[in-house]
Amino acid sequence: MKILGSLLIVVAGTAMGFSVAARYAERPRQIRQLISCLSALKSHINYVAIPLPEALSQCTSGIVGPVADFFRTMSLLLLTNGWLTPQAAMDQALIESKQLVLNQPEREILAVFGANLGGMDREEQHKSLELVQEQLARIQYEAEKLCEQNVKMYRYLGICSGLAIVIILV
Amino acid sequence: MPNTQNILTQHIYPILPPHLSQILMAVPISLLAKVTEIRIRANQPLALVLGNHDVMIDVSGQATSQSQAYYCTIQDLLKTFQLLCKNSVYAFESELRQGYLTIKGGHRVGLAGQATVFDGTIKTLTHISSLNIRLARAIPGCADIILPFVIDSVSRRIYNILLISPPRCGKTTILRDLIRQLSTGKATLGLVGVQIGLVDERSEIAACENGIPSIDLGPRVDVLDACPKASGLLMLIRSMAPEVIATDELGRAEDAAAVREAIHAGVSVLATVHSRTINELRERPYIGELVQQRMFDRYVILSSRLGPGTIEEIVDSRSEKIVYVCSNEVRECG
Repeated sequence: MKILGSLLIVVAGTAMGFSVAARYAERPRQIRQLISCLSALKSHINYVAIPLPEALSQCTSGIVGPVADFFRTMSLLLLTNGWLTPQAAMDQALIESKQLVLNQPEREILAVFGANLGGMDREEQHKSLELVQEQLARIQYEAEKLCEQNVKMYRYLGICSGLAIVIILV
Repeated sequence: MPNTQNILTQHIYPILPPHLSQILMAVPISLLAKVTEIRIRANQPLALVLGNHDVMIDVSGQATSQSQAYYCTIQDLLKTFQLLCKNSVYAFESELRQGYLTIKGGHRVGLAGQATVFDGTIKTLTHISSLNIRLARAIPGCADIILPFVIDSVSRRIYNILLISPPRCGKTTILRDLIRQLSTGKATLGLVGVQIGLVDERSEIAACENGIPSIDLGPRVDVLDACPKASGLLMLIRSMAPEVIATDELGRAEDAAAVREAIHAGVSVLATVHSRTINELRERPYIGELVQQRMFDRYVILSSRLGPGTIEEIVDSRSEKIVYVCSNEVRECG
């Protein structure tokens, strides 16, 4: 009985460690996907000049997961409620996309992106999207460094804390 | 007369803020059926244009005096503009520069506001203060009168035709029906359908959605949507080998050069131009030269004397003879 309990505690500790680590691993992946989508959006705006509702859904092709869902939700919101501004649609899409593991810095960049979306000509839109992409690329680099440092640490920490609890209890 | 309510529900209400749509929904059907334009101006009454006069509308959709009318707010204009360009100003850059957008169904929305000028050319329009939504109605059969005068009775060739009229006289509507009938063919006139290339710079004639015409133009029409006329005409001649090429509203030097090139290439041209009479047109630069050089075979003069789309006369350019004169019969076109 004691062994079974101890095992459960170790497994729970490990699972907690792994789930925190997964969040650190997921964040750079989502930022990378955001950059890919924005790059596709830039082409759709700059080259073919497709209106936002269509461009936002088309820029997700080849990408699956929360980032693609976020862009599709925004596209759907603009399509069904034309009087929403792109910024309002983005804010709502951010609330609805609960699977996004983005932190404050990238959310701030997205807010700037939303505020400048749709109201300008192609050239200006291109510049603004380029700036957003650059800023996100910097954040992605930092997020990757953090990921390298933290993933292993949280995994070990999970196992060790599980073991530590077991030792104390025993 | 096509069902105006259907046009409004499908194409116009989606681009208006909900409360403006509700006002229009309450307008009596008899009045709605005659509407040719909806005018929205900042801090001015909401007005409906019915052919030659306009009426002001109150919040309950009834025609009323200026003081009782619903006054459009700046917010109304902002929201309508946002809906019109789908939140994507960049996608309508060239249209905004020219002061109009064409929406689903081929309805043209004219815009006025503050122009932003850069290096002497208009870069865009900001602070939109007036909108004019012009309802386009396809009227099958409105080119019936013209059709026999468009075909050479001996060689069966389609003449080079220029439709001449001031704005709001149904030029585009008649051109659209002429294209449809030529592309379909008409057995009673011995006309077999011809291959037609259409350069629809303002997306008004074919009202394309994602490049596919949303208005019936018959089975033999290739549409180059939103393409500048001059380059489009030559592109279509080279790429699609049409027998007839059609376009709307000639005006610039390059348009005249492209029309000349097309006629010399052996392709028949159907085109429209803003003017009142042939003599007035002759005085205009570029297109006037085409008239002086008798590049077109026949001129069709339109007016709105008996309602939009009144065909006043058809003139043969070589003999300068009038081959058709209007017989005061009332016709209505959009």
